[in-house]
Amino acid sequence: MAARSEAAYPVGWKNGRVASWLVTVDHKRIGILYIATSLVWFVAGGILALLMRTQLATPNEAFLTKNSYNEVLTMHGTTMIFLVVIPILAGFANFLVPLMIGARDMAFPRLNALSYWLFLLGGIILWLSWFAKGGTAHAGWWSYPTLSENLPFASPGHGQDYWILSIHVLTLSSLLGAINFIVTIHNMRAPGMTWMRMPLFVWSIETYAILLLLALPALSAAVTLLLLDRTVGTHFFIPSHGGNIVLYQHMFWFFGHPEVYIMVLPVFGMISEIIPVFARKPIFGYKAVAFSTIAIAFFSMLVWAHHMFTTGLPVGLDSFFMISSMVIAVPTGIKIFNWIATTWRGNLIFDTPMLFALGFIALFTMGGLSGIFLAAFPVDWQVNDSYYIVAHFHYVLFGGSAFGFFGGLYYWWPKMFGRTLDERLGKWHFWLLFVGFNLTFLPQHMLGLLGMVRRVYTYHQGGQWEAYNLVSSIGSGIMALATLVFLINVWRTNVLRKGIRAGNDPWLADTLEWYTTSPPPAHNFDSVPYVTSARPLRDLRRRLAEQPQ
Amino acid sequence: MRRKLPSLVLAVLVALATAGVAAAANGGFTPVEPASPNAHHIQHAYYLILGFTAAIFVIVESLLVIFVVKYRSRGRARAVEGAQVHGHTRLELIWTVIPVVILAIIAGFVFYELPNIDSAPAAADPIHVTVEGHQYYWQFDYTDSPNQARSIGTLHVPAGAVVDLKVVSPDVIHSWWIPALGGKIQAIPGRTNHTWFQADPGTYDGECAELCGVFHASMRATVQAGSQQQYRHYLATWQDTIGKQIWNGVCATCHGNLGQGGYGIAIANNSLLTQKSGLEGILRNGFTGAQGSMPPVGDTWTQEQIDAIAAYVKKNIYKSAPVGATGGG
Repeated sequence: MAARSEAAYPVGWKNGRVASWLVTVDHKRIGILYIATSLVWFVAGGILALLMRTQLATPNEAFLTKNSYNEVLTMHGTTMIFLVVIPILAGFANFLVPLMIGARDMAFPRLNALSYWLFLLGGIILWLSWFAKGGTAHAGWWSYPTLSENLPFASPGHGQDYWILSIHVLTLSSLLGAINFIVTIHNMRAPGMTWMRMPLFVWSIETYAILLLLALPALSAAVTLLLLDRTVGTHFFIPSHGGNIVLYQHMFWFFGHPEVYIMVLPVFGMISEIIPVFARKPIFGYKAVAFSTIAIAFFSMLVWAHHMFTTGLPVGLDSFFMISSMVIAVPTGIKIFNWIATTWRGNLIFDTPMLFALGFIALFTMGGLSGIFLAAFPVDWQVNDSYYIVAHFHYVLFGGSAFGFFGGLYYWWPKMFGRTLDERLGKWHFWLLFVGFNLTFLPQHMLGLLGMVRRVYTYHQGGQWEAYNLVSSIGSGIMALATLVFLINVWRTNVLRKGIRAGNDPWLADTLEWYTTSPPPAHNFDSVPYVTSARPLRDLRRRLAEQPQ
Repeated sequence: MRRKLPSLVLAVLVALATAGVAAAANGGFTPVEPASPNAHHIQHAYYLILGFTAAIFVIVESLLVIFVVKYRSRGRARAVEGAQVHGHTRLELIWTVIPVVILAIIAGFVFYELPNIDSAPAAADPIHVTVEGHQYYWQFDYTDSPNQARSIGTLHVPAGAVVDLKVVSPDVIHSWWIPALGGKIQAIPGRTNHTWFQADPGTYDGECAELCGVFHASMRATVQAGSQQQYRHYLATWQDTIGKQIWNGVCATCHGNLGQGGYGIAIANNSLLTQKSGLEGILRNGFTGAQGSMPPVGDTWTQEQIDAIAAYVKKNIYKSAPVGATGGG
């Protein structure tokens, strides 16, 4: 240190501890920024969920009622979807895609930084709306008009406008990111890495990016029309002036259903990376897993109106969307069977990433199967908009996406920071979350079938209603505890630096990101080996083992 | 021990799920006990899907547990590889085709049941009711009745009669749902939707199923399926109780049972309650002022309804002295 000559080797302000993160265009740092920011909002959105579960723990509770409850439910949904699940997956993609394909960085590093900062800005706009005149948006995360219109007893005030602005900024962020991923994946793969040798996570990000490009403009258009209605006096969605509300539903769900797969396909990709490594086997049916990703993405563009079965569509349309929704279950089933087959005759090692991956399969299966009931539209007429739906999509989005990204965090943490998260705490995290999750959401299926509708701030029935609600609220407390364990683990590993130092490849994994150091240098690789299969690292290990010492 | 834990928890889950099938209809494992043919037929479709999905659930979760237990590492080193199996085309075809067949059966059964769910029995001569979702109450307009009968919150029908519902809304989207009497249908401004039921004798409760604003949770509906006599009696005497129905179903939600105030202002000693024309203006057009604002709750009411609520509040709610003195019961 002392010997360093300032004049000969000037250290600019850009290299400062904080400033270097602010001006970074390194995909790894941007990825970590994405993930860290998303986790902050995960905690914030989780606190909102706890507020709601506290209110619903017993009948006729008065803890959080009326407009406040509607604000909290809207903010919880919007935050978890737009500020947690999508961006944390973008974070993983940022960190991993260039490393997995052996590239130096993303194709457009500055654009990449812009994506992140737009995401942060969009999130801040959304959360600033707590201070808006009239409070935050309170029409639910779909913001159906006319409830979201600037009408006296719908959504006057500016909360809804903040919401729209935030969505605009966030969609811009995601679109830029999507373009960047596609260009990177198409042009910057390592020598020898053909499409059929590409890691399955990269396949899933390619599909995720294409879906974002196709679906997001519909959302932007829908909220733009809503904004015009609210601010300049158009009436696209005001029926008394000739507008059509059902049009908004179509536009929203044309985005909204691909959105579901945007939030789960990259997680499928992570699971397809984790399970083979901890089963010490190749993925069972690489091509089937890759092509089923494409099939799911394709069909996800054709199922949107299954969110609208109670809108009163003609039976012909209902029938079409029932069949297309059922079709999508087939490639999803293929994936689940292929993952399970991957564990067959393996050497299964139950480190925390594997626990989360297996937990994902168990829970996502449940969410997928409850979806079949919803595809059959007469049954959907019965359970739609009840707590059954709430249970269903939390099995998909928490049991699926969140369990998946937690698995991903434990798996790639050593690559990101050079230290492994503590296994003991990790297992506590998993089991508390698994038990807490099922306690919270399993009873909600029953509540929905008993007739409890979603988005109500209270109910008056005792008996089973009260019992199931109470169990659900207790479960949510256990989930909070699990998250606390995770945060302690992160603190312990990264701040107290008690995490075990990881080598390049602590899990003996298959893909290129494990070829470089942990954490990787700014330029990622000094050299990239010629890729001869979908498992370049295993090939390398075998070649090393064959060499005479 | 730790490695057996996943199987244990999963086993418990599987047991819970199967117990659910056994417990049927009690405890929320199936939709509430149906009391109308459409709800019965929805239940049939539900059972069929439950049968298939429960079987798939048990197979998938058991396979997962069995493999987890059977192929666990047992202290083998990480470097020890499992069987390097890359796939099996025939097996993969099988688990593609079987779900297709199952889904085809389910879809076929849905189409088989659909006519009984979607359309009312043709032979019956239906009763026509217009259901209006309104912030934050349900209004029923008995369009067959010669005296423009209406009710608020409770729909009176004769048991066994086919009731044809036209579902509308003047303000925001609501969703009509009486779980025992079949599925939901949204009440959408600018659109008329249809549904129907044919209720067994009894009283059935439901709630608005689409977020519609502050008092979404209070927007309850009841269907009372009694005798023909009771039904005709209600139609003949609806004017006698409509004032009270409106007070309880519409006004009290915000202003409290006694008009003592709540979400809305205290109105019990507001002299406006005694002035019909002023009251009518506010009910029909809403109100925005320093004390807050009120939606046009009565924008679709008949003159009889306005007269009835005006008379009711004047007689039963209005108190010239501050209401606090009498104590809110």
